[in-house]
Amino acid sequence: MSELFERVLLPVADPDDAAATCRALDGHDVGAVLAVHVIEKGGGAVDKASVEQREEYAAEIFEVVTDHLGEATDLETRIAYGADVPETIFEVADEFDATSVVITPRGGSRWVRLLTGDVALSLVTETDRPVVVLPDVSGVADGGATASDEDDAATDDRSERAESGGSQT
Amino acid sequence: MSGEEDLAKDLGPLAALTIGVGTMIGAGIFVLPGTAIETAGTLAVASFVLGGVIALFTAMSASELGTAMPRSGGAYYYVNHALGPLFGSIAGWANWLGLAFASAFYMFGFGDYVTAIFAVEATYTLGPVSVTLAKLIAIAGAIFFTAINYVGAKETGRLQNVIVVLLVAILAVFTLLGTLRADPANLPPSNGFGPTMLTTGLIFVSYLGFVQITSVAEEIKEPGKNLPRAVIGSVLLVTTIYALVLIVMSAAVPQGFVAEVSAAGDIAVVEVGERLQGAIMGGALLFGGLLATASSANASILASSRINFAMGRDSILSPQINEIHDRFATPYRAIAITGALILVFLVAGNLELLASIGSALHLIIYGLLNIALLVMRTADPDEYEPDYRVPLYPLVPILGVITSFALIYYIRDDATLISFGIVGAAVLWYAGYARTRTTKQGILSEYILDRSDEMPEPAVSAADAVAPDGGDYRVMVPLANPEHEKDLITLASAVAKQRGGSVVATHIVTVPDQTNLSRAAEDLGDIDAESERLLDRARSDAETSGVDVEAHTVLSHQGFEGIFDAAHTYDADMVVMGWGPDSHGSPGRAESAIDEMTGSLPCDFLVMRDRGFDPSRILVPTAGGPDSDLGAEVARLLGREFDAEVTLLYVAGRDDEDAEAFLEGWADDHDLADAERRVETGDVETAIEDAARDATLVVLGASEQGLFQRLVGGSVVMDVVDDVDCSVVLAEKKHDRSLRERLFG
Repeated sequence: MSELFERVLLPVADPDDAAATCRALDGHDVGAVLAVHVIEKGGGAVDKASVEQREEYAAEIFEVVTDHLGEATDLETRIAYGADVPETIFEVADEFDATSVVITPRGGSRWVRLLTGDVALSLVTETDRPVVVLPDVSGVADGGATASDEDDAATDDRSERAESGGSQT
Repeated sequence: MSGEEDLAKDLGPLAALTIGVGTMIGAGIFVLPGTAIETAGTLAVASFVLGGVIALFTAMSASELGTAMPRSGGAYYYVNHALGPLFGSIAGWANWLGLAFASAFYMFGFGDYVTAIFAVEATYTLGPVSVTLAKLIAIAGAIFFTAINYVGAKETGRLQNVIVVLLVAILAVFTLLGTLRADPANLPPSNGFGPTMLTTGLIFVSYLGFVQITSVAEEIKEPGKNLPRAVIGSVLLVTTIYALVLIVMSAAVPQGFVAEVSAAGDIAVVEVGERLQGAIMGGALLFGGLLATASSANASILASSRINFAMGRDSILSPQINEIHDRFATPYRAIAITGALILVFLVAGNLELLASIGSALHLIIYGLLNIALLVMRTADPDEYEPDYRVPLYPLVPILGVITSFALIYYIRDDATLISFGIVGAAVLWYAGYARTRTTKQGILSEYILDRSDEMPEPAVSAADAVAPDGGDYRVMVPLANPEHEKDLITLASAVAKQRGGSVVATHIVTVPDQTNLSRAAEDLGDIDAESERLLDRARSDAETSGVDVEAHTVLSHQGFEGIFDAAHTYDADMVVMGWGPDSHGSPGRAESAIDEMTGSLPCDFLVMRDRGFDPSRILVPTAGGPDSDLGAEVARLLGREFDAEVTLLYVAGRDDEDAEAFLEGWADDHDLADAERRVETGDVETAIEDAARDATLVVLGASEQGLFQRLVGGSVVMDVVDDVDCSVVLAEKKHDRSLRERLFG
């Protein structure tokens, strides 16, 4: 096992992102994994969605992660709360003593990134530890024959993901 | 509470206060005072103070409920929790639509302010439709604030705090300088009680915001302390501001001034400010009004998404409304629907109508909220531990109920009519949609049904009639002996499958009385392994039958009580359990278990004496009566599931002809017309035992008389169970009969 993947922190933003990131990890020899979902807080202002609602959403996301990695990997999941998502991810990485943070690019138009903040970019530029950006391999590595609905859904934005992945690295 | 969860609560006392003040202040002071003074004269001040007092009663009740249950959804959640889903449905719809109506009203005000700032006014006509510029701006504003919440810019939340502080500052200066100029001689004459009350009804829309604080209660730091401060504090603060502003507006300018400017279509508070303190104050108030109406609408849209979430979670609405946006992490569907409603209301309504409907719907919620408090205090469930308690209980909530409902009378008729229409629609919604989906019962009906002996009969049947039936039919199987696991699960799965429900497998571990339950949970090690094996097998057996299954391990001091508790906890509609000398581990254990079965049954019970489960030839002895209904139903379900041959047996007295007719009628009534019918005479027990020789399974209704009496008296049922060679299923319906009735039949 490469030292890089000994203790992997896996930030997951939504179920599709979780599936893409888990797929990307396939074939890599990975030690312990901590999947973390950050619930963005208003920092003194009302949140954009109910915290209880976001916690339910996090459970959905973790279900995807567990389905993909649960069997084979030493897997933990954690919900973290913070006003600054990248900063919160790094705090969790510190606590977990992560050897790397693994993400796949989420793509999205410039507008979407402007509105939501580009977490991936901040992770790469503000990092104090290795951040591994894995390409979203979706249908290809899995073998097209077993492509699930999820993969189908991902097909549309695959080219977009690849594109933005290129521009970010 | 863990540190992580603490981080989830990041609203300080000021932030919580500004949600309330920000939602309220926009409406009242910047839009309505002109109309209020015109209608009520001097007593316009009294209208606003009266509105504040009514709001204060409810604010205290909401605070107590909020500190006891700091959950997302606020008023809806408390009403649903305390009064059950029928009232929950009313409160939820009223709260959601009330906020949408109020938001439309705020946007009207917003449109007025924008046109006033740019000093433009116009009406556009397109065919038969004519729209004022103000209305167009209101529509644009509604789209804008919906979009902001759809995308979820957290900056707006912080901006809200700044806006509120700014507003309070502007109004403080305005009133401080204004009161210096006040002269009682300027006061317009009072127009008496009627107009004052009508005004109160209209301006009550200025007091809707405090309850939105409770809808984000889960995010407030130290809710026990900060929630009541914010809720009650915001009502006191805005009441004071409203009163002072009204005094300035009626006493510091000459009589008739307000009416004059209002008639000219100008915004009264701005004109008064300009006249008293010059153009700068006029400008500040104009700007303030713009911010205030915007912040009110923004906060209302945000709050309404919390109500949608809570309603969806309880299945009062489709949970699909709660989907979170992948990128924005917002409840985008709920927000989009709310935005669409606001647009519809804006296009269809006018300013006063929208304000009045918003008020009426909120008054309905406030009334229910106070009733919810009375119910919680009366039923006093163990988990109800509010940090803040209403003073002068029960006077305050009772006054809250009376004043809230009474004020609805003074709201204009068309608005009241529409509001009651919405309430009626919510009731129909519950009956037609939510009742079969929601599972939460509500403290009130639990309280009534638990005391069905003491409570008046109409109350009991009413509570029973409106109780939710949850949709998902849940069959719980308490497992003890691995040997019977498969047969019990097969039986349960068959029933669950036929009813489109699911199976809940529970392993109830009996812990000696002297062992503390939490201690037992700690050294769960080997229990865990045993449980897991048993539940894993149950899971795979149920999955083989094609039903959904969930599994739980339950620790309990008393085996049978544990089953009752678990049935309650997991919302079971039916319990399928084994019974026999060896079914609960120790000999004789089950006998005493059945002894305990003499109280009321929380749900239907199927008790199986397992001698191998083979449903190919089912015998159903019947004597009619309610418990044979369940037996018949089970036989019918099993017959359908396993393609079984069902035989009905009736042991008649002397008159044979009647017996045939009876059994035929009974079979028809129970959808068992296809079953073979057999009428015997003579000794009941012998007849059943004879008939059972051809059968593989006997299904018996268990409680024509008290089960206990039968046991003690060694009556028919029990002997049959012991004497036949095949498996026997005893079916007993859910009932709430008292212990005495149960014991002696």
